[in-house]
Amino acid sequence: MARYAMVIDLDRCTGCRACMEACKVENNTPRANFWMYVFRFEEGEYPNTRVWFMPRPCMHCDNAPCVKVCPVGARYKRPDGLVATDFDRCIGCRYCEVACPYGVNYFNWKRPERNQYLDWTDAEAAAVLAPYTNGAVPPYKNPDLERAYGPERRRIAGGGHLKGVIEKCTFCVHRVERGLQPACVANCPLFALHFGDLDDPHSQVSQLLRRRSHFRLLEEASTEPRVYYLGGKPPGSDTRQIETIRARA
Amino acid sequence: MAMRVEPLPYRVGQISTGTLLLIVVLLGVVAQGLYAFSRQLTEGLVVTGMRDIGTMGGPAWGLYIAFDIYFVGVSFAGITTAALVRLLNLHALRAVSRLAEVLTIIALILAAFSVLPDLGQPLRGVVHLLKYARPQSPFFGTFTMVIAGYLFASLVYFFLDGRRDAAICAARAGRLQWFYRLWAAGYRDTPAERERHRRVGFWLSLAILPMLVIAHSTLGFVFGLQVGRPGWFSALQAPAFVIMAGVSGVGLLIIIAAIVRTTLEAQDRLTPEVFRWLANFLMVLTAAYIYFMLVDWLTATYAAPLHESRVTSALLFGPYARIYWPSVAALVAAFYLLLRQFLTGRYSIAVTVLCGALVNVAAVGKRLLIVVPSQTHGAMLPYPSGTYTPTWVEYSIIGGLIALGTLLYIVFTKVFPVIELPEARQEMGHR
Amino acid sequence: MKVTRRTFVKGSAAVGGTLVASRFLPSGFQTLLKTEAAPAAAPQEEWVPTTCWIGKQDCGILARRINGRVVKLEGHPGNPLNVGTLCPKGVAQIMAIYDPHRVRTPLIRTNAKGVSGQWRRASWDEALTLVAGKIKEVRAKDPKLLVWQKGRSKGKAFYDEAFVKASGATKLHHGAFCSDAGYRASEYTIGMSGVLHPDFRHVRYLLAWGWNITNAGGNQLCWITWPQQLSAARERGLKVVAIDPRLRGAGPFTDDWIPIRPGTDLAFALALCHRLIAQNTIDREYLRRYTNAPFLVQADGTFLRIDGKEQVWDEQRGVARPYDAVAVRPALEGTFTVSGAPVRPAFQAFKDHVSPYTPEWAAQVCGIPADAITRVARELGEEARIGSTTVIDGVTLPYRPVAIMAYHMAQQELGFQAVRAMLTVMMLLGAVGAVGGQRIDVGGWAIHENFEKLDRIKITDPPYNIYLKDSPYFPINSNNSSLVARVMLNPDKYGVQDRPEMLIVHMANPMVSFASQPDLIESYKKFPFVVVIDPWLSETADFFADVVLPAATIEKYEGPSKASDQYLDGVALRVPPMQPLFQSRGDIDIYLDLCEKAGLLYGRGGYLDHLNAALKLKAPHRLPLDRKPTVREIFDRWAKSEGIAEGVAYFEKHGVKVKGPIPAAKAYGYAADPPFGGVRHRFYGEALLRYQAEMRARGAAEIYWRDYTPFPTWRAPTMTASPAEYDLYLITYKMIEFKQSRSSFIPLLNELAPRQRLDINPRTARERGIADGEEVWVESHHALTGETRKVRVRAHYTQAIRPDTVGLPHHYGLWSHPGAKGQGPTANALLFTGEGYVANTADQSFHVKVRVFKA
Repeated sequence: MARYAMVIDLDRCTGCRACMEACKVENNTPRANFWMYVFRFEEGEYPNTRVWFMPRPCMHCDNAPCVKVCPVGARYKRPDGLVATDFDRCIGCRYCEVACPYGVNYFNWKRPERNQYLDWTDAEAAAVLAPYTNGAVPPYKNPDLERAYGPERRRIAGGGHLKGVIEKCTFCVHRVERGLQPACVANCPLFALHFGDLDDPHSQVSQLLRRRSHFRLLEEASTEPRVYYLGGKPPGSDTRQIETIRARA
Repeated sequence: MAMRVEPLPYRVGQISTGTLLLIVVLLGVVAQGLYAFSRQLTEGLVVTGMRDIGTMGGPAWGLYIAFDIYFVGVSFAGITTAALVRLLNLHALRAVSRLAEVLTIIALILAAFSVLPDLGQPLRGVVHLLKYARPQSPFFGTFTMVIAGYLFASLVYFFLDGRRDAAICAARAGRLQWFYRLWAAGYRDTPAERERHRRVGFWLSLAILPMLVIAHSTLGFVFGLQVGRPGWFSALQAPAFVIMAGVSGVGLLIIIAAIVRTTLEAQDRLTPEVFRWLANFLMVLTAAYIYFMLVDWLTATYAAPLHESRVTSALLFGPYARIYWPSVAALVAAFYLLLRQFLTGRYSIAVTVLCGALVNVAAVGKRLLIVVPSQTHGAMLPYPSGTYTPTWVEYSIIGGLIALGTLLYIVFTKVFPVIELPEARQEMGHR
Repeated sequence: MKVTRRTFVKGSAAVGGTLVASRFLPSGFQTLLKTEAAPAAAPQEEWVPTTCWIGKQDCGILARRINGRVVKLEGHPGNPLNVGTLCPKGVAQIMAIYDPHRVRTPLIRTNAKGVSGQWRRASWDEALTLVAGKIKEVRAKDPKLLVWQKGRSKGKAFYDEAFVKASGATKLHHGAFCSDAGYRASEYTIGMSGVLHPDFRHVRYLLAWGWNITNAGGNQLCWITWPQQLSAARERGLKVVAIDPRLRGAGPFTDDWIPIRPGTDLAFALALCHRLIAQNTIDREYLRRYTNAPFLVQADGTFLRIDGKEQVWDEQRGVARPYDAVAVRPALEGTFTVSGAPVRPAFQAFKDHVSPYTPEWAAQVCGIPADAITRVARELGEEARIGSTTVIDGVTLPYRPVAIMAYHMAQQELGFQAVRAMLTVMMLLGAVGAVGGQRIDVGGWAIHENFEKLDRIKITDPPYNIYLKDSPYFPINSNNSSLVARVMLNPDKYGVQDRPEMLIVHMANPMVSFASQPDLIESYKKFPFVVVIDPWLSETADFFADVVLPAATIEKYEGPSKASDQYLDGVALRVPPMQPLFQSRGDIDIYLDLCEKAGLLYGRGGYLDHLNAALKLKAPHRLPLDRKPTVREIFDRWAKSEGIAEGVAYFEKHGVKVKGPIPAAKAYGYAADPPFGGVRHRFYGEALLRYQAEMRARGAAEIYWRDYTPFPTWRAPTMTASPAEYDLYLITYKMIEFKQSRSSFIPLLNELAPRQRLDINPRTARERGIADGEEVWVESHHALTGETRKVRVRAHYTQAIRPDTVGLPHHYGLWSHPGAKGQGPTANALLFTGEGYVANTADQSFHVKVRVFKA
């Protein structure tokens, strides 16, 4: 069994947020839901200013607070390390969300057809595009997201972003199970994101972690994240977010 | 049937125009709540002021959860009072014990209901919470211990405690005679029966008290076990929840007792002595809560970690100060008034009721402040701080729930004596 | 799989149950049912190789297509430009394809121009007939009265070349807003077309000079390619110095931030030259052999020529000799006398010229410590390792691992000369064309025709065309549409007679994307007939188009496009991943039909004939001149003509043809045969002085000729004459989220940056009582006319900007797309054009003095 992890090289990240967009299109996430989010940071005062960037996927913690608190077992830890959300089971209590110190959970506050960037219940927009999209919402709807994954055969890839259920980064389980990299990793223009098996000593992630010093976010919360950062340091009290995305559902 | 219909005590079965009007108004408020709920079901929780923690800055839990814990808290009073009456043989308080039990049951029903609008998938909530229950989740405790166990125990206690009065009422003809017979369930108030009831009631009370502590602690654990939410992660959460529950519950009980005293003309039963007891009880609980608050303050300001201090400063000086300080002021004022009564020995029902109202205002405020700021200002990564403004939907649903509770209470007072019938009447009933 | 009756019944019951349930249960109940149903048939999944459409470099794309519907655009792993990745715009453009607000049919205007348009839908035949008729009518008078304007050209051969040549139209383009001042400076100085970038594989010390590393492109290529190379170089130990008023663009990729005052780059570069000479970190060998630095300059500034040949001072023989004489040892320094007249080598003249430009002097001008300049000069001198060599491809070449990356910073009032000064820095270090050193054109070492052309401009008598070509105003001329607007508003002033009669705007939106919006809005009213070819109803179309022709976005054949990252060479083609949506059509289809209807398609001198030339089609693959080909056929012939036997099918299958590594002989000027293409780099710009003399002789005002100096010469930019209350410099910049002014309506992108914002240092803001996020007015001032312009925008605190500078991104200010309403103004509403705000090469400046106050 693989033990998946993500390694993020902060020395390479330009904060371009292409990973966020790749995630959005791959996973068809609704407006304002950022399974992957990229912080843009500023520290210090002019002229001793430091600017840096930090991608924030789900940490897929080994000791995941969200898994602990889920009252129905919709949020669960898979043997390969992925923290999955069964959107057929979730009751939408958002306990996982308040338990998570990383702020990676997103709730479907709205009906999906009204939340895919345009209001697809608008008859005109729908009619205009119907000949080309066959009514798919969004037009780039990814059919892989509805299927069941893992030996457990549960639907954990995000699906139709059902109203009233929670969702978050899946590490692109639908891609990983086909041997592909998560969409953000595959697309990173600076090759700052890496994904692989920690149990394989020859995997890129294993080698990077052996070779370079690294940290994980909020180690003090003993959540044991599966996302490692190379280079730089964790955000501190002087770290200010700039160019904040304030999108709300 | 030639039997003379004698009016039941405490205006049971009598509905005045004023009551009718009140019921109509309450039904209207409930209807508005239902309409708001239907909007929420159709459009999703986007119609509320809640949003995601993190990039959206909003609280994922808001008014619904705040009132959920408020309602659960209120339930404290009833069963505690009733149980204490039973265990300590506090005859003075016998008259409020049913008032308190009804409050507990209705509060628990409201608590159960107020979870539903908070769920994104309420229907799944009902089914899956049973089907896939996970005891590891503190939520499980909330549902099993509080809503199920606690409510069930309270109902049993309530049922047993009411059997005697039901039997008395059942002796009279009327449209609800079947109901009283059903409740009395063959109870005939023989000394043996009385003794058996007394014993069962005693042991049940004894069992309920720890259950109650556990139940309110469990609710505290929902928050206190979350390492990821600065302002929540604290061993103090559980005991503070128990105490705050007592404060709000006893406070509300005082208010209800005062209303019943006037409207049902029960001055003979709900004597100033009753209020004196309740006032002192409330004073002790308020003092305990203020103590907890001070300890909390000191910890949070003396050497708090970065994220904790951000939440604290949002509370003390930030956007939540306008809720925080009035709540603290209300608590302190209530404590001051209660202490003065205690020290001077001059008790006033009006002042006690005022204190009850003050602590309840504070309780609602404090609940909201436990739930919300740790979400909007408690991010451990540098997310922007958020805001929370409940929408008309949330206010309507909460208003609807409160109206529903009030309605249930009024309806109950109209079908059953809400004050335990005195010994004398009991004799009469046997004739 | 064996299906027993029992499982069959169970299965159908489950499916049936689900169906019944979903039919009759309210939606809430449906959520209780698991609805994973195996699709009736496995979806047909295909990957179509194509190229990006949204940006400038056309990265390779693989489009994932499910049952004929494109669901995702991913980077093409085989394309050297992007190696399997895409920028946020590239990923998000999928939403642009499916935008229901695209122009869906040809539109014909029904209301007056100058206000928001009302339209009637027309057939392609009607619209094209109308446009073609107009073209015929205008061409009958004079083909030059037809003006063709492009923004971003994705098929240069088809549009810029074949159509413009076949129709004889006057061509306008976007260069003067991009970085053309830098192109002109490099073409004139080194002979290479481009601005400045390093040999990233070997560079060790880089001046990121106004290079917006984390947000914008860089020299010639888009954003992905350069940051990839930068990041790899940093991992090899590259040191980066960011010279920029705003650090944000350089992000964490900088070791030393020098927050220079806007518009003073020339002063900084001159001070570097001063220090390099003082330090004696000069590559004399290079200067002697490959530049005109040793040429003897006379007192009047012209070269000493004997028999038409420039002379140098032979140090060994102590006489002036032709620069190409055998065994000549030219002096770089000293003053000599030839035929009784004093002469000095151009280098000596330069040394004298820069002697007042001390670091202390520049520190005052640039608003930075003098130490910073001295430090950079010292490090440049050390890191250049003058005299060292290394072996590449078996050839021993000079190794000078220092370089400058500069691109859009060229767009400032002194841009042409600033870039020339930066090139001079690199010439002094001998880094031009050396390993690890300065590069200019990603395509390799090829001398651009402008090296000669710009040296031999013939200033003519009036009348001039609308962009004042060959006029005494802007002899070197980058064709600035904003300036054209000023000319159109006052043609007599500039000696312009012809008034254009028809304008075709192709993939450009001058109303929003070019500087000095008020001028443009006024002047476009003067075009009697305007056609816009665009997938969207641009603001230009909204206000001024008579006809709008809907172009397809990515769903068309287009190209060919270069796929070279300066190390690997390749070529790519855009292949439609699906049929054009709505009634839109590929741009090339539109031109073919338009030319046919306008009688421009067939025969000698026709569109097809010019296309043969523009695509360099070789027999037997040349297009017959009497038959209209399909676009696919044209590309098929082109591919075969390029030696790709499968024709266009190769690109339909692979998307990109990688030709292989660019050899050292092509990549390094020193390795070229002859070195540097056989030209002498123009250390001294003699022709510039000549132009100045002629401009003065023709009575052009000083404002036009003052920057035509043989050496870059500092003067305070015009904007600094604005009154003291306009105490801030406005700079503009690009954001990674958007491309130009044609993407802020894409909801996936504008979610990331929904509104215009003014970058301001918190100190500056607090002095004015402005809180973060608060609305402010930004008011710009024209230093010469006193005109003011203002916009309202939100303040955005950042410690990464000079306190005397504020920054506005481009991209915003659209109004016709519902998805872009209310985003705030374009920076172009504040900028001025014309004298004082354009460079001597007619290039647009993006600097202006402003004041900022609470709204």
